[in-house]
Parts: sequence; C-alpha cells; structure tokens
Amino acid sequence: MKLLALLLALVFFVLGVFYGLGKINFLTKSGTAHTHHISHLVLCWILALLCLIWYRFQSSADTVRR
Amino acid sequence: MGGAVRPGGVPKCSVTDLQVLILALLQGVSELFPVSSLGHTILVPALLHWTNVHRSNPTFLAFVVVLHLGTALALIVYYRARWSAIARALVASVIRGRLSSGRDERIGWLLVVGTIPVGILGVLLESPVRDLFGSPAPAALFLALNGLVMFAGEALRRRQLGDPQRADKPIEHMTFAQSVFVGFAQSFALLPGISRSGASMVAGLLCDLDHEDAAEFSFLLATPVIFAASLLETRYLVAPGAHIVLAQAIAGGCVAAVAAYLSVAFLMRYFKTNDLRPFGWYCLVVGVGCFILSKRGLLS
Repeated sequence: MKLLALLLALVFFVLGVFYGLGKINFLTKSGTAHTHHISHLVLCWILALLCLIWYRFQSSADTVRR
Repeated sequence: MGGAVRPGGVPKCSVTDLQVLILALLQGVSELFPVSSLGHTILVPALLHWTNVHRSNPTFLAFVVVLHLGTALALIVYYRARWSAIARALVASVIRGRLSSGRDERIGWLLVVGTIPVGILGVLLESPVRDLFGSPAPAALFLALNGLVMFAGEALRRRQLGDPQRADKPIEHMTFAQSVFVGFAQSFALLPGISRSGASMVAGLLCDLDHEDAAEFSFLLATPVIFAASLLETRYLVAPGAHIVLAQAIAGGCVAAVAAYLSVAFLMRYFKTNDLRPFGWYCLVVGVGCFILSKRGLLS
C-alpha cells in the first residue's frame, strides 16, 4: 500500500503539471483548446498531497508493527 | 432593470443595487436552506424577467463569486471553534503519522474523505452540467425532484427508527465509506435545483445521523467546497467585461454573509426538533409551479 500511495502521489502531481501547462485537456471545459487548467491542477495536487499523507500513515503503521 | 450607462458609453454596472440586494439575500439563505441556491439564482431572475442576470454576464459571475465568498466566511465564522479544533487535530495526526480516537480528528478526516468525491466531480462536471441544465425548465424540474428526495429521505428515516437494530449515532461514529456516500450525495447539487445541504442531509439521515448532526455534518462538508469553488472562480472578478462596483460587491458579500450566518443559526435550532418535510413541500410546489410557468413562456 505504501508503494501504491507514493505512485498515486507521483501520478497526480505529474497530471497536475500537465493540466497546468495545458498539455492535456481531458474532461476540461475548453475541450481541445490548450489553455491552463488551474482548477484541474489544484485538484490533482490536492489529491497528490492526500496520497502523501496516506503514505505517511502507512509508513508510521509499519514502524509501529516492527 | 438593466445596468446604468455612464455618459462616455461605458457601462457603470450591469447589475442594479436592488438586484445585488435580492441576489445576496437569496444566495445567503438558499445556499444553506435545503432548497438549492443554484436553482433559485436561475428561477428568480427568470421570474422577475431580469434579462441582464444570467451566467454569460461577466459582472453577474463576478457578483456570484463575492456572494459565495460571503457565504463561506459566514460558515467559517459560525463554526470557528469547531474548525480550529479540527485543523489542529488534523495537523497533529499527520505529524504523529497515525489516527487517534479523538473526536475532532475523526470528524476532520471524515470531512476530508467526504470532500474528495464532490471535489473531483465538481471540477470535472460543473461546466458541462450547467451548460446542459442551466435554464429555468430543468432547474424547476430538479427543484421538484429535490422535494421528492427529501420526502423519500424522511420516509426511509422513519422506517429506520422503527428498526430496533439501528440507533442514531454521533458524527464521529460514521465510517469513511459513509462519509464518501454523503460527499457523493452532495455532488448531485451540481444539478441546478438539487440542494447541496438537502442531498447531504438526506444521505446523513440514511447513515443513522439524527437531523441536527446530519445538518451540522452537511454544513461542515459544504464549507471547504463553497470556499474552494469561490477561490477558484476569483478570476471572474477581473474578467474582461466584469464591471463590478466595489461598494456593491462589498455590500452584496456582507448581506450574503449575514444572511448565511442567520440561516445556519436558525437551521441548527430548527433541526433539533424538526425535519425536512416543510422544505420538501416548498421545493415541490415551487418546482412544479415554475415548470408550468416556463412551459407557458412566462419565465424569461
């Protein structure tokens, strides 16, 4: 689960960067127009942050188990 | 009711003072009462034939942002002690790296988890849904449906109360799956006419919360969503064509904030002893009435 959390955090972070740069436009209001999708960037980075918190909880649980 | 025009030909403002006052009161009250603020901001201007108040008007959009900010601030002020305790508990739990049994921490994580579905669906679907259903007839139909949902929720709630296996529980005893369920229900408020607080309250009731706790969880869950949505839409304040007058914006934001504060104070007292059915009747009658008017061409 730790690996999954870290992987998801990375995916959401990169996805956010691509939305922010306007490189991807999937499920955006502008459709195919390449504009900066700030809402999507913020959403992706919040999800990345939550995944990192999940990772933190998993790491701590491992330490306690040991 | 159109906007005044300066001698130079530049519009002074395309929203009048009276419209600002009515829209602010409408937003502050209907955002928290389970009657759909979005539905009302479509139906009331249509009923009053305000042709300048619609979502393609940049000035109107800028005012909506200010009104939402006022509403969110009112919710934060009303629940300031609770939010402060939740924020401290969440930070402490992240630093500690594990969950504790603290009430504020548990509610905090329930709110975080419950906000995820509405955050994702809101960002991805808000614009297409509004483009599709943002006119009076669908808004009126969804408002009537909102009323039926509240009646159904109350009926299911009464059935639950008759089941000896189930008992009311406090918010912190909800599971994370139930919080996701409530958050998902809240995202139906993307449809104009479906109430955010109504949908999440009905979902809360189905998760064995009583009316007071369901209302409190609904308002706490709505706060970050309304606040984040209005922050993300602040670009409309400086959009080309947004002729916003500072005094009007401040007055509108303050009126919306006061109306929202009084509404949440009233509703928290109301739901100690009452249920959703009066709001269900209101939504059903107004929804059906507005739908008939729209079909007769009486809504602009």
